[in-house]
Amino acid sequence: MRWIIKLDEGLAWLSKICGWIACVAMILMAVNVFYDVVARYAFNTVSIGMQEMEWHLYSVVFLLGIPYALRTDGHVRVDVFYTNWSNRTKAWVNLVGAIIFVIPFAYLIGTYGYNFALDSYAMGEGSGDPGGLPHRWIIKSVIPITAFFIGTAGLNMATFAIRVLSGEKQYEVEHSGEGLA
Amino acid sequence: MIGMIMFGVALFMLMIGFPVAFTFGGVALFFGIYAEGMDLFAFMPFRIMSVMQNTVLMAVPLFIFMGVVLQRTRLAEQLLTSMGRLFGGLPGGLAISTILVGALLAASTGVVGASVVAMGLISLPVMLAHKYDKRLATGTICASGTLGQIVPPSIILIILGDVLGLPVGDLFKAAVWPGVVLIGLYIIYILIMTRLKPETAPAMPEDPTRSRKQEIGSALLAIIPPLALIVVVLGSIFTGIATPTESSALGGVGAVVLAIIYRQFSFKMVWDSAADTVKVTAMVFAILIGATAFSMVFSYTGGDYLLEDWLHMLPGEQWGFIILAMVVILVLGFFIDFVEISFIIVPILAPVAEAMGINMLWFAILIAMNLQTSFLTPPFGFSLFYLKGVAPPEVKTTDIYKGIIPFIAIQIFVLALIVIFPEWFGMSATY
Amino acid sequence: AQETYTLRLAETWGPNFPIFGDTTKRFAELAEEMSDGRLRIRIDSANKHKAPLGVFDMVKAGQYDLGHSASYYWKGKVPETLFFTSMPFGMTAIEQYAWFYHGDGMELMQEVYEPHNMLSFPGGNTGVQMGGWFRKEINSLEDLQGLKMRIPGFAGEVFAEVGVSPTNIPPGELYTALERNTIDAVEWVGPALDLRLGFQQIADYYYTGWHEPATELQFLVNKKTWDELPEDLQAILKTAMRVSAYDMLVHSQHANADAWANIKEEHPNVQIKQFPKDVFQAMVKANEKLLKEAAADNELASRIIESQEEYLEKTRAYTDISTRAYLNTMAEVE
Ligand code: NA
Ligand code: NA
Repeated sequence: MRWIIKLDEGLAWLSKICGWIACVAMILMAVNVFYDVVARYAFNTVSIGMQEMEWHLYSVVFLLGIPYALRTDGHVRVDVFYTNWSNRTKAWVNLVGAIIFVIPFAYLIGTYGYNFALDSYAMGEGSGDPGGLPHRWIIKSVIPITAFFIGTAGLNMATFAIRVLSGEKQYEVEHSGEGLA
Repeated sequence: MIGMIMFGVALFMLMIGFPVAFTFGGVALFFGIYAEGMDLFAFMPFRIMSVMQNTVLMAVPLFIFMGVVLQRTRLAEQLLTSMGRLFGGLPGGLAISTILVGALLAASTGVVGASVVAMGLISLPVMLAHKYDKRLATGTICASGTLGQIVPPSIILIILGDVLGLPVGDLFKAAVWPGVVLIGLYIIYILIMTRLKPETAPAMPEDPTRSRKQEIGSALLAIIPPLALIVVVLGSIFTGIATPTESSALGGVGAVVLAIIYRQFSFKMVWDSAADTVKVTAMVFAILIGATAFSMVFSYTGGDYLLEDWLHMLPGEQWGFIILAMVVILVLGFFIDFVEISFIIVPILAPVAEAMGINMLWFAILIAMNLQTSFLTPPFGFSLFYLKGVAPPEVKTTDIYKGIIPFIAIQIFVLALIVIFPEWFGMSATY
Repeated sequence: AQETYTLRLAETWGPNFPIFGDTTKRFAELAEEMSDGRLRIRIDSANKHKAPLGVFDMVKAGQYDLGHSASYYWKGKVPETLFFTSMPFGMTAIEQYAWFYHGDGMELMQEVYEPHNMLSFPGGNTGVQMGGWFRKEINSLEDLQGLKMRIPGFAGEVFAEVGVSPTNIPPGELYTALERNTIDAVEWVGPALDLRLGFQQIADYYYTGWHEPATELQFLVNKKTWDELPEDLQAILKTAMRVSAYDMLVHSQHANADAWANIKEEHPNVQIKQFPKDVFQAMVKANEKLLKEAAADNELASRIIESQEEYLEKTRAYTDISTRAYLNTMAEVE
């Protein structure tokens, strides 16, 4: 049991790092879009590179946010029955779901996403627009990276469920906006 | 046929309570591998990439950020309660204010995920704190947050313009009246409901030490700053300074500026707001990615061809065709995303409608209205999921499902009005 | 019975997209008819594969056997693909087809696509594309300074050289952006396709083209799929591609003429304009400079540019004494 707890906490830490990066990207993105509007209106300049940076940051926000939200149980559930179930039942739902849904899904997106990014790297792909950003493989590789962390977050869901099953932890408030705002 | 079985399984699995996004993704995985093999999922990176490059969706995190900051700094609460106070002893004031704010957001963006979540963050806690009925509150938010689909500018109208070959400007103009009527009827519904059951939407408590005039004066004063923010956001769009997407960034930065003015600013507040935004955004986009895996498996296993075959069996006489087409779209809206519907169904229906001499502009508005409803219909209405994702735990999925029903009824009523009396909305049914 | 082959084609366009989408449908029909049903082509539009700009990668990887797109979309991946669509101040459709089939065009194109495990064939031409919708008249180079315009790709770079700020706006927001002056101008295709987006309602000046005098689409074929086909079916595919491409050129001419008649009739506000001479001179210079940059350190690109320049010179000399002379004569007679 001891190593399960260690593993669980380690995996949670990985998701937290994803969340931290996504938060930085979120703030940078708001500033970036704001700057582009001001630059266009006030200084009459447009930079395609800066415009492309907007969607690069936005992609990081929502992609790396997914594993983060998994650890904090931020993903919405239909709670018609779930709410009324015992901690044990909930743990089984999450354990089985993580193993048959989350981890295989992450695995497939990860492997195919890896080839997707690798191909882009091999071709030296960049933006086709004037002044656009080079090295498209960097943003494309966020897809397999995210898949990897969704995988670890899925594993984390399972380790947490095991802790609940052993009686050492419980699902506190069953999720939703709790802790948000 | 696999597509149809998959719907049933997904519905069942959703009820168990595993997160929606991964239930869609996981069910798609099993059926996809069974029918087509692993390699079908080589398409997934492309589909995720197309979400990444869909810059219109950037409005989602940006609007949510604005909503979170307004909520954390209590400016949203101030706006809504002050607006509610303007209604004096009238019950339902908060709900009507919510509809009006929803209408403003709808006129500034066409991204439903953005406005439902922002409205959920801003007004749900306020309504619940004032002892509103959960169903009335959530129904109002889902319905008014979804108005962005029909009130221009609107993504669905742009997609329909593309698919039907109609100028976007004409569609935008034609959609104004249906949108206004819808907003009006929502408000009338709230007025009637609160007359019948005042306890579902209590009036704001009056301050006995102040006169009605003072009350209105201070309410107006309190509305000004947050309203100014909304004016900046909308104004930047209407004057062309910013595109609708960019205006959402102005809103976020503007909310932070307001926080500074009101001495509510701290770096921690900004960081916490960003963290909340990331969580909610991830929730919305995980659903989009799960749903895209689902629709991928649906169409690559022949679901789209099956639908086409069914549609070719629709009757060849105008009224029968219109009514059945509307019913088909409404029913499909329970299950599939509006973009899928526009691209699978509309190209098949359009030539038939055109051959019957049906006015395509009118037909497009009918479809848009109908697709807007699909966001609200349980069990797969995306607006319902989005709101659930930001609602406090005491609000159950079933509350949201029940709360939305009257608003769906209103939408169908307006749809019927446009079908029967197109001239009321400045259109004609045929050329 | 002989073996039948089902080939899957991914197109960049949405379902029922006019002209472009008709081309793939026609291609599929022709291939099936000519092969007596031994070839079947299943077309997936962008709504199905969701990757309009992923057609290159999907055909390369063999996820699709065939693709229908435009070569210049891949310039960010493979710079030399730029040259097989249309070049600013380059050849007209008939001149460019002559270069493809009788000059070095096809050979050079295969040289570019072969390392990526694909074959590429001409896939239909739009004819001269219009120069775009402007809300203000352009009377001098001065008027272009800081002008915000949606114009992608190489033409955007040429415009950028003369002072325009090319701007990225998602297609869904283009109309609103132009209507509200977030941008000043939009380049799209030509009357038939522009009409659908409604620009004629909000912009008065419709400029004539220079940047894409003969936009050629392309058919992509996965090399492995191709090699597995018997020779007669390969020949049938080639013929079907060539015929449907020709049909598209004709169809474009017809549909654009129709749409233009409609615009003239229903939107008398629209005026046809040509950029002033100094603007063109600056753009020609900018174009030369950019081509020189593209050719630097790229042996293949410089061979393609050279081939196009040489061919253009010879073929244009003949166009001058035939088509141009005739049109001039007609202009005088009228
Ligand atoms: Na809208
Ligand atoms: Na173009």
